[in-house]
Amino acid sequence: MSVQAVRIVNIVESLLVSNDKAAGVNREWLENAGVLAINLMSSPGAGKTSLILRTIAALGERARIGVIEGDIAGSIDTEKVLAGGAGDAIQINTGGNCHLEANMVHRALDDLDLTTFDILVIENVGNLVCPTHWALGEHLKLCLVGAAEGHDKPIKYPEMFAKSDVIVLNKIDLIDFVDFDRSIFYESIGALNPGVPIFEVSCRTGEGIEAWADWLDEQLVQFRKKG
Amino acid sequence: MHELSVMSHLLERVETHAERLGASRVVAINLVIGDRTSIVDDSLLFYFDMMTPGTVAEGSSLKVRRTHMRCSCPRCALDYRPDGFGFNCPTCGLVGDVTNDGTEFLIESLEIEQ
Repeated sequence: MSVQAVRIVNIVESLLVSNDKAAGVNREWLENAGVLAINLMSSPGAGKTSLILRTIAALGERARIGVIEGDIAGSIDTEKVLAGGAGDAIQINTGGNCHLEANMVHRALDDLDLTTFDILVIENVGNLVCPTHWALGEHLKLCLVGAAEGHDKPIKYPEMFAKSDVIVLNKIDLIDFVDFDRSIFYESIGALNPGVPIFEVSCRTGEGIEAWADWLDEQLVQFRKKG
Repeated sequence: MHELSVMSHLLERVETHAERLGASRVVAINLVIGDRTSIVDDSLLFYFDMMTPGTVAEGSSLKVRRTHMRCSCPRCALDYRPDGFGFNCPTCGLVGDVTNDGTEFLIESLEIEQ
């Protein structure tokens, strides 16, 4: 009986290398169209769609917004953002999948009119865990958290806060009613992602939206300078 | 449930590498996965058993080496694993800096027969 030798071959590559490659293709496509893309991630109900609506209104003529809505099912949010003035919007229903992947976004980009907006907001499926690892081709990762979710979110979902390029704390009008401890929230983010910009807003009252929209507009200016 | 997607991507890569290397059989797949990926081993193994039959990885074993989240204290230079309640240093209480440990998400090596 011959003994088959087992050979160990080093690979050392990311488990998600094929998704990362597909994301690179999306990014190039967006850059050729001069579109800045944002991957918007949060838990369900943090106010992702409300933030998009407020941002569209605050930016007005300065920058037009396009939206990819990722949801398990339904197209309520797409209708809302189109009614709210989005340049174009499209729904991706993941049919149960807990996050968007680059190839899903690729198909959506194919159906969008990229000349109708300057900034593409990709609203990921509401989830603070799974979307973290799947690059979509975005230039910025935005983590949105609602004050009512608690100040401990960065401790419980460290990766989301560590990988974000910007963090928006929504529902600050509720902050005094929900025992939200700002010092713990800011300290934990400081440990995970020192220097990351954090904006406090209320999509209900509009507080803080202007500063957030100004920052985003500045990102677009910088992006276009690079392009 | 992102383990299903992860497994599907993993098996696609294993097939590609096995073909490139001229492997007749994959004996083992060695992964390095950090806790910060929130990947659950049992869940990964469940999908592995479900999805490998009929592929080059059928009958192989999936081995996962785990790495953990760590912090370093800027005051006492202590390197420690956070306790799950925060990132405070167990010696002085200061909030430490989170290092990159525990973010690994790699196919480290394949054990193959040629």
